[in-house]
Amino acid sequence: MPDGPAPVQEPVLDVRSLKTVFKTRSGEVHAVNDVSFDVRPGELLGVVGESGSGKSVTMMSLIGLLPSPPADIRGGQVLFDGNDLLATDAETLRKVRGGRIGFVFQDPMTSLNPVFNVGFQIMEPLRRHMGMTKAQARLRACELLELVGIPDASRRLKDYPHQFSGGMRQRVMIAIALACDPKVLIADEPTTALDVTIQAQIIELVKDLREKLGMAIIWITHDLGVIAGIADRVMVMYAGQVVEQAPTRELFGNPQHPYTRALLETIPTVRGARPEKLNVIQGQPPILGAAPSACPFRDRCAFRFDRCDRENPVRIPAGPGHDAACFYDFNTGGPRGA
Amino acid sequence: MLDEPKQPLVRVDNLKMHFPIFGGLLRRRTGEVKAVDGISFDIFEGETLGLVGESGCGKSTVGRSVLRLYEVTDGSVTIDGRDIAHAPPEELRQMRTQMQMIFQDPQASLNPRMKVSEIIAEPLREHHAGTATERRQRVLELMDQVGLNRDFANRYPHEFSGGQRQRIGIARALALNPKFIVCDEPIAALDVSIQAQVVNLLEELQNELGLTYLFISHDLSMVRHIADRVAVMYLGRIVELAPRDALYDDPLHPYTKALLSAVPEPDPAIEEKVERIILTGDVPSPSNPPQGCNFCTRCPAVMDICKRDEPEFREVQPGRFVACHHFNDII
Ligand SMILES: Nc1ncnc2c1ncn2[C@@H]1O[C@H](COP(=O)(O)OP(=O)(O)OP(=O)(O)O)[C@@H](O)[C@H]1O
Ligand SMILES: Nc1ncnc2c1ncn2[C@@H]1O[C@H](COP(=O)(O)OP(=O)(O)OP(=O)(O)O)[C@@H](O)[C@H]1O
Ligand code: SF4
Ligand SMILES: [Mg+2]
Ligand SMILES: [Mg+2]
Repeated sequence: MPDGPAPVQEPVLDVRSLKTVFKTRSGEVHAVNDVSFDVRPGELLGVVGESGSGKSVTMMSLIGLLPSPPADIRGGQVLFDGNDLLATDAETLRKVRGGRIGFVFQDPMTSLNPVFNVGFQIMEPLRRHMGMTKAQARLRACELLELVGIPDASRRLKDYPHQFSGGMRQRVMIAIALACDPKVLIADEPTTALDVTIQAQIIELVKDLREKLGMAIIWITHDLGVIAGIADRVMVMYAGQVVEQAPTRELFGNPQHPYTRALLETIPTVRGARPEKLNVIQGQPPILGAAPSACPFRDRCAFRFDRCDRENPVRIPAGPGHDAACFYDFNTGGPRGA
Repeated sequence: MLDEPKQPLVRVDNLKMHFPIFGGLLRRRTGEVKAVDGISFDIFEGETLGLVGESGCGKSTVGRSVLRLYEVTDGSVTIDGRDIAHAPPEELRQMRTQMQMIFQDPQASLNPRMKVSEIIAEPLREHHAGTATERRQRVLELMDQVGLNRDFANRYPHEFSGGQRQRIGIARALALNPKFIVCDEPIAALDVSIQAQVVNLLEELQNELGLTYLFISHDLSMVRHIADRVAVMYLGRIVELAPRDALYDDPLHPYTKALLSAVPEPDPAIEEKVERIILTGDVPSPSNPPQGCNFCTRCPAVMDICKRDEPEFREVQPGRFVACHHFNDII
C-alpha cells in the first residue's frame, strides 16, 4: 500500500464527460455515459466494475481505438500533453499510441498478430517510435522479455504467439506496452492469465517504472486484492458511469456506493474462514438502450427510495478526494442532504 | 466431501507431453519443450480436482492431453476404465460424449455467426442425438439448467455479457450428458460476482448430475472454494497434491508455500500484514529444466542434494503427496 497522497501535480491525462455510443442493428448501446477522471504523473489509478460496465470501451475511446461505425464518440475531451486527443488528427494519435501512451489489451490472443513472431512485434514499435536500429531493437526486446519473466528470451523472440501459454502472451503484451517508456500506461486486465507469483513480479516491475520514470498507470482489473496492493486511488464503474472514486484505503474502509459495498462482499480469499456458498450480487445490470434517466443500480439496490427512480445521481463529494453517485447517505442512514 | 471411498473415474499415469522445437536454417528438430513431464493423479467420481500453478507450467496441456486433444508423448490416461490415450478412432468418438471441456475465453470458443440455440445443439447434431424436435427440446432444457432465459435462444453470442456467454459454453458442454468436464480457467475473464455465479452453478450441477471436474485455474481463492483436492504444478510436474483444507491450512512444498503467500489480500489493512515469500532466481525453461529438483533455482529452502537428485513424488501423510527432499525421511 503506497503512503499517503503524492504532492499535488497537474494531471498528465484528463478525461472530461466522455460519451460513447454503439449503433447496432437492434438499436443504440450507450456504453459510456459522461465519464470523467484524471491521473497524475507517478500515480496508479485502479479501475474496477461489473463486466460490461464500460471500462474497456472508455479506454479504447480515449486513444481512438474503436472502429467507427459502430462506435460513435458523442462528446467529451481527453487532454494529454496539451492536446485534446478526441480533436486531434489520426497521425498524431498514432504517434501517441504505443509511444507516449502504452496500452495492454484485455485479450492478448486477438491483439497479438498470429502471423508475425513475437520478436518482430516487440521490435516494431521500438524502431518506429524510438528510431532504433534492428540490432538495438533486438537487444532491447530481449531485455524486455526478461523483465517480464519469460525464460530463454533470445530464443523465444522467434516463436509465434500460439507457441506461448496464455499467461506468456499476456506478458509479451506488457513488454510491448512498456517498450517505449510511456508517460501513461493503460493496462486492461493485464494479469488475469497470470499466476500470483508472476503477477507479483509484474507488479514490482510496474511500481519500479512508476517511480523511476514517473509513469502514470491506469490498471483495470476484477481482482480487488491487486487493487488493494497497488492502487493509489480507485474508480468504480457501473453501467457506463463512474459511480464512486476514492483513495484506495478509503474506498475499502468506507465505501459510499451500494454497488461498491455489494462488490466488496463478493470477494473470496485464501485466508480466514471459507463460506459454504459464494456471495453474488443478485439481479442483472440494465440494458443501456439510452442514457439512463434514473439510477442504473436501483433494481439491485437495497437502499433504493423514490428519488432513485426519478433522477440519475451525479457524483457528490463524500470526503477528501472521495465522491459517489448515490442519493443515499450511509453516514446519516437516510437520503443525502436530508 | 465424499462419504465412501469411490472408484477413480480418471486415472493419469506418468503422462508426458513434449512439443518439438525446430531450429536452424533447415528447421530441424533441435530439442523439445517438456510441457508435461511425467505426472500421475486420480480423480474420483463426483469429485473436483483443482489444478493450479505458474503460468506456462503445463496446466492447459494436462487438460488437453487428458481429453486426448493431443497425441501424448508417453503415459496412460484411463477414463471410466477405458484407456483413452490409446483408444482407436471409433471408440474414441464414443468416449468423447462422456468428456467435455469448458474454455477460458467463451467469446473465442463460440461461433459468432451461430445462434445460441445452434451453438448448444452443435454437439447433439455432431453425434446424431435425437430428432430435430428432440434436440430443440433438449436445448431449452439445458438453457433452463444453466439459468439462461429461453427467450434468448435466437440471439447471437455478442449480444450477451461475459457471464452469460460462459453459461452458453457450459450448456453446450452439458448437452451430451458427460460424466467428466475439464474446466480450463472458466472464470478468469469475469468479474467477481459473475465468477461466483458460475462457480455456484458448477457446484449445483455437480450435485444434481454427479459430475466430475478437473478445474484448472490460477485463482487460488476460487479453487479453494470449488475443489475437493488440489494438485500444484511447477514446470511440467506435480509438486504437491492434497485435500483442499490441508493444502490451504498447512502447505508442505516450498513452492506451494510461496504461491499461497503471494495471493493478494482484498483488504488493505490485512494486506499490509501478510508475510510474503518473494521468489527470486531464474525462472527455468521447460525446454531446459534444471538438474535435480525442478524448483531448485528459485527455492528458498534449497539444499545441495536438490541440485543433484530429482525428488520423488511420494505420500508423506495419508492422502498428501509431495515431491521435495525435505520430506525424504518420512516413511
Ligand atoms: N462493438 C460493439 N457493439 C455493441 N455493443 C458493444 C460493442 N463493444 C462493446 N459493447 C457494449 O459496451 C458495453 C461496455 O463494454 P466493455 O467492453 O467496455 O465492458 P468492460 O467493463 O470492459 O467489461 P469486462 O469487465 O467484461 O471486460 C457492454 O455492454 C458491451 O456489450
Ligand atoms: N503448441 C505448442 N507448441 C510448442 N510449445 C507449446 C505449445 N503449447 C504449449 N507450449 C508450451 O508448453 C508450456 C506449457 O504451456 P501450457 O499452455 O500448458 O501452460 P499453462 O500452465 O496452461 O499456462 P497459463 O496459465 O499461462 O495458461 C509452455 O512453455 C508453452 O510455451
Ligand atoms: S526439493 Fe529442494 S529445491 Fe525442491 S522444493 Fe524441496 S527444498 Fe526446494
Ligand atoms: Mg473489458
Ligand atoms: Mg493455460
